Amino acid sequence: MSTTTVEQHLTEIWETPKGIWGKLSSVDHKELGKRYLVTAFILLIIGGVEALIMRIQLAGPDKSILTPEMYNQLFSMHGITMIFWYASPILSGFSIYLIPLMIGARDMAYPRLNAFTYWTFLLSAILLYISPFLGQAPHAGWFSYVPYTNIQYSPGHGLDFYALSLLLLAISTTGGAINFIATILRMRAPGMSLSKMPLLCYSTGTISFAILFALPALSANCVFLELDRHWGTHFFHVSGGGSVLMWQQLFWFFGHPWVYVIFIPAMGMLSMIIPVFSRRPIVGYPYVAISTVLTGLVGFGVWLHHMFSVGMSDMAMSFFSAGSMLISIFTVVQVFAWVATIWKGRLVMTTAMYYALASIACLVIGGLSGVYTGIIPVDWQVHNTYFIPAHIHYVLIGANVFPVFAGLYYWMPKMTGRMMGETAGKWSFWVMFIGFNVGFFPMHILGLNGMPRRIYTYPAGLGFGPVNMLVTCGAFVFGIGILISIVNFLTSMRSGRIAGRNPWNADTLEWDTDSPPPPYATVHIPTVVSRNPLWDDYDEEYDPDDTRILDEGRQTLSTTWLDAEPFAISQMPAESIAPLLAAIALFVFFCAMVFELLWIALAGLIATFASCCFWLWPRPSPEERSA
Amino acid sequence: MSTTLNPPLNTTKKLVAPLDRNRGTLAMWMVIATEASLFISLFCSYFLLGNNKSRWSIDDPPKLTYALILLAILISSSLVLHWGEKQVKRQRYVAARIILAVTILMGLGFLALQSFEYLDHWKKLAPYSDSYGSIFYTITTFHAAHVIVGLLILGYVLILPRYNSKLESPYRAYHIAAMYWHFVDVVWVFVVLILYLIPHWIVYGH
Repeated sequence: MSTTTVEQHLTEIWETPKGIWGKLSSVDHKELGKRYLVTAFILLIIGGVEALIMRIQLAGPDKSILTPEMYNQLFSMHGITMIFWYASPILSGFSIYLIPLMIGARDMAYPRLNAFTYWTFLLSAILLYISPFLGQAPHAGWFSYVPYTNIQYSPGHGLDFYALSLLLLAISTTGGAINFIATILRMRAPGMSLSKMPLLCYSTGTISFAILFALPALSANCVFLELDRHWGTHFFHVSGGGSVLMWQQLFWFFGHPWVYVIFIPAMGMLSMIIPVFSRRPIVGYPYVAISTVLTGLVGFGVWLHHMFSVGMSDMAMSFFSAGSMLISIFTVVQVFAWVATIWKGRLVMTTAMYYALASIACLVIGGLSGVYTGIIPVDWQVHNTYFIPAHIHYVLIGANVFPVFAGLYYWMPKMTGRMMGETAGKWSFWVMFIGFNVGFFPMHILGLNGMPRRIYTYPAGLGFGPVNMLVTCGAFVFGIGILISIVNFLTSMRSGRIAGRNPWNADTLEWDTDSPPPPYATVHIPTVVSRNPLWDDYDEEYDPDDTRILDEGRQTLSTTWLDAEPFAISQMPAESIAPLLAAIALFVFFCAMVFELLWIALAGLIATFASCCFWLWPRPSPEERSA
Repeated sequence: MSTTLNPPLNTTKKLVAPLDRNRGTLAMWMVIATEASLFISLFCSYFLLGNNKSRWSIDDPPKLTYALILLAILISSSLVLHWGEKQVKRQRYVAARIILAVTILMGLGFLALQSFEYLDHWKKLAPYSDSYGSIFYTITTFHAAHVIVGLLILGYVLILPRYNSKLESPYRAYHIAAMYWHFVDVVWVFVVLILYLIPHWIVYGH
């Protein structure tokens, strides 16, 4: 044993076993983060292909490639996939992989919960995608307004798949949020007080709180919908005293915070990437941090702006219009901080930086059209026209897809150990950027000219044909750009240049590990004295007495939430198959509920409880077993 | 960059610090926060559906007797469980287990009595009568489902082995289960206030 180094010993403790059993029972945040990224990226491709099929149908007037019902199912599945199953999980993937490394912890606070949330996310996506194979996909948009979604207008199982797979995803997302909050508030490296925390932790922490308080409204709504559809209640039936508007109120009370859930972490990623390639710390760190938190907070007070055209009291509408104006200030603070950082810095124009800059440009365009639509008369004019899809795609591609690609090019060397090809990356960027603007900018014009959204075709006499053809071409060019990046990724993963520890000369702790990081991350739990740990002269791993190695089992440090003073050692659980079993049992329950097989549903619930007991059941420690 | 890699294994010293026992408590606080938001959504739906309706609960509020007895059962079960938690702290494990069993029996009593209330109430109001019936039964059934989950958690703690082990302090599981049970009881206080008492006050005021 005397020849065993500490590295080998720590690897033995933390390594996931090889083989299929290890894959199914893994609780390693690096493994799970990568799975999140790959799964969400596959869903991005599926959602993108759905969009391209729709664009073929809309390329010219009076086309009949798709039937109206098929078109409705496609646009619904596109929206549902992108907003629920791609945009949020891919950001969770980055955060799950990076946040423990960034804050010097060896895993997330609840590693098995982490595995459980991944499996439920995967199984909820599978549950949703059973529906197209039955020819009964949801067909009422990602928002599924009643009364169209009541059983008499939407027979079949489409909306049941929608409501129940969303409930399963809600369980997954809530579990993930709990995990992020505990990790960020409890596991930071000694010395990393709240005022020195990387900005990605601020954004992920903020949206995790938003998820805890906003998601139950959607869950309640989905339960009401299911009860109305199959159990004879009258929540949304006006004839039975129900309220159609209640769906919209609850949906948007959840929906607007969700908009921030799918873009605040991406802005946090930009706040990490832009300073590195401007070669200086971010300008106005405290203002960026505070405005991130305030966006999450004020995001709860703007939901009515999705419902201006419904007709409500002037008082309520004015209040929410003012709220919508107010919230743009917090986003603007962050945009100005990035611009100032770029202004004061010396730019290094890597592919990641190209995507980051494009992201700022598109976010500003999308943000400005958002300010227009926050003004009530303008909203009444453009509501239900193509102006709104143009706005949402500028915001979501500008503030989610481009930052995600910036993140992929920036962090992929850490995850795979190899650099992504820069030339192919820049080609991919320019093709995507041009395709995106050619595809989505003309939608503003179409909208102002009065083309309604969510229609499967339009008559030739209206003159929308040429612009629509342009939009379709742009969409395909955008798709080709993404394809170049995928090919680039697959080739660089095998034959890219070896990255080394810190290829970008970046400032945060994840770059202080090998690429790809060993299972235990760092030998010594690091300590931190500044906001840019790797740019200062301080040695983060300086530990003369070797007190921060913690090699007595899976251990990492617990620190206080404000000042990050170490106060305890966290004993982490080992691999377990229980999270997978619990996720499958829940999946059986939700599947059975779609088809109203109540006995199987009950069996699913009992199996869920049994697997949770198995999960938590105390096992004797090695000393006790020998005693 | 580290300059102290590769220290020999046997030279490492131990960091003297206790094990972190409160991560589970933290998670339970967050579960309670999100569950509370769920009930707030349900109560908001109740008020939203009741807004501007000609027929609403104030015409014929649900009977108070059952609700108040149920409230008394749940509040006393919380007090009993709190007493049990004190026993675990003093390492009187047998007493703690007996008290836990008493709490579970009180919870089962709650469910039994609530089914009687449903049988009684169903004669004049069903979930499919109108939107008031729908939301009334949904809120109370959601609460009952949480009581069932609470009972399952308490039952799990009841049969948890090795109460004397040093590594797995029994206090942790007991405490976390008790937190959830107290939360379920507090929800019932709000259910009684909003669904039962306030309609009676309004009728009285008229």
